[in-house]
Amino acid sequence: MKVLLFQIIISAAVLAQNINFNSPENIRLFADFLFCDRDYLRAIDEYEKYLSYSDEDTIRFKIALAFSAIGDQYNAIKNFNSLQETSKLYQISRIEELKSLFNLKQFSQLNSKANELNQLKSDYSDIAKKIVNLSYLLNNESMPSEKIFLEPFDVQEKTIVQNFYFQKTNPDYKSEVLAGVYSAIIPGLGKIYTENYSDGITSFLLTGLFSYLAYTNFNNDHPVRAWIFTLAGAGFYAGNVYGSIASAQIFNAKINFDFINDVYSFIEEKKYFIPEYDFCK
Amino acid sequence: MTFVSKKIISISILLVCSGLAQNSLDDQYNYAKSLFDQEKYFDAITESKRLLFFDEQKLYGFEANMLIGLSYKAGAKYNEALKYFVLSEVNSKNDEQLFNSVILSARTNILRRTTQQSEKILNSLLANPKYFNRTKEIKYWLGWNYMFSNKWEKASEIFSEENLDSSLAAICRSVVNESYNENFAKYSSYIIPGFGQFYTGEYLNGLISLGWNVLLGYLTINSFVEDRIFDGIITGNFLWLRFYIGNTKNAEKFAKEKNLTIINNALERLQYDFNGSKP
Repeated sequence: MKVLLFQIIISAAVLAQNINFNSPENIRLFADFLFCDRDYLRAIDEYEKYLSYSDEDTIRFKIALAFSAIGDQYNAIKNFNSLQETSKLYQISRIEELKSLFNLKQFSQLNSKANELNQLKSDYSDIAKKIVNLSYLLNNESMPSEKIFLEPFDVQEKTIVQNFYFQKTNPDYKSEVLAGVYSAIIPGLGKIYTENYSDGITSFLLTGLFSYLAYTNFNNDHPVRAWIFTLAGAGFYAGNVYGSIASAQIFNAKINFDFINDVYSFIEEKKYFIPEYDFCK
Repeated sequence: MTFVSKKIISISILLVCSGLAQNSLDDQYNYAKSLFDQEKYFDAITESKRLLFFDEQKLYGFEANMLIGLSYKAGAKYNEALKYFVLSEVNSKNDEQLFNSVILSARTNILRRTTQQSEKILNSLLANPKYFNRTKEIKYWLGWNYMFSNKWEKASEIFSEENLDSSLAAICRSVVNESYNENFAKYSSYIIPGFGQFYTGEYLNGLISLGWNVLLGYLTINSFVEDRIFDGIITGNFLWLRFYIGNTKNAEKFAKEKNLTIINNALERLQYDFNGSKP
């Protein structure tokens, strides 16, 4: 009987433990839950609270990751940089910093940070090279040779990256001058050259129609109407030449836009080649 | 006797201890609630989430989820609010709590302008005999749903039923009465160019429309009469037809713009002058 009573008291005591919501352990547990629930802003607050009790590299790293996840790359870099070289997370934090710099489009800084990492002979050098090489696709610096560019990527990645390399070195642009000249020779042809078919046909028909009207009116001695149609035709003709040049510019801008989007989609899909963390497993 | 007293002591210890554990959860809930009352919604959500995280027996499953949902709703984060109202619905312990969660889901859907969804929710509540005594409340929100889905006539009817809300019914009726018929504005301009503009009170535009159409109509017909067929086709096609079609579209656009102004004014009155419950 005494044993049973003792057992009850012990169990009850365990049950009754008043939850201390603000004990460091509980703050950390809750912060981890928020982090894994992708409630990053609250997770940062809780982790920062925890840091006032115990300064841990893992927590600093998670704060940086949370900032990176919500797109606050400056604070992410600041926190990644707070890790000491002796930390086991130091090297991966350098890679995460590269990711943040990539997102901030600070490509020259990205390059120099990647070089520092290479000099350390880091385990993550290959990842750094991949990120740097992909950054060449998005800036205006001269591209390395195809061999050097493709070197860090594995077989599967190479096919896609090679295509990016080709698109960057031989962009499928349309010449603005050529578009203008084409439209000057045959109205609308420049627009058809820039794959703007409906506008091309409309330009051709309208310029043709007004020219015809001007011609017939001159022939039939209606000079006022003839000049009106001539002016309208000339306007359409000039507009069609200008429009073809603009159409080539729009076409080229779309090529650039799609290309940048494709590169970002690829690197996002590959999660910046960074191995998955086991924080939320 | 000794056995009985030991039993009593054990039960008392158990009760006191479990009561203590619950007290800390209770304190946490009250803390979250006080933050909510102070309109510190971000913190209220954090503390409610903390409560949910440590409340392993889900004693506060309904209350905490409800508080989070209400905080998100107050911060106009309707998608997140809906998620937590559904969770509070799942954790509800009685019909009253279930009803409150579902009504809040419907109200959030109204604010989110997913009015079809809220109509479905409210109609399912209306069809549930358990909530027969809450019919008035359900219909009240159904009326709001109609207003937000631009069905002012239906809203007016529902608010007028059993004197549900006479002030809301009056607002809805005024919108119905003041609104212009967009189709009438458009098609009357097909018959007499400029008529739709006159109907919507845009007299100058109506006169200009009428003038252009008369002039270009005359030029077109005159060309045909004088056997200038090509001139007639060009004037008719490129000028008269363009002005004629433009006139009907213009009349329709005016009616739509005026209706939008009327609706916006009504919504402004609802926001600032109406003191009853709002979604």
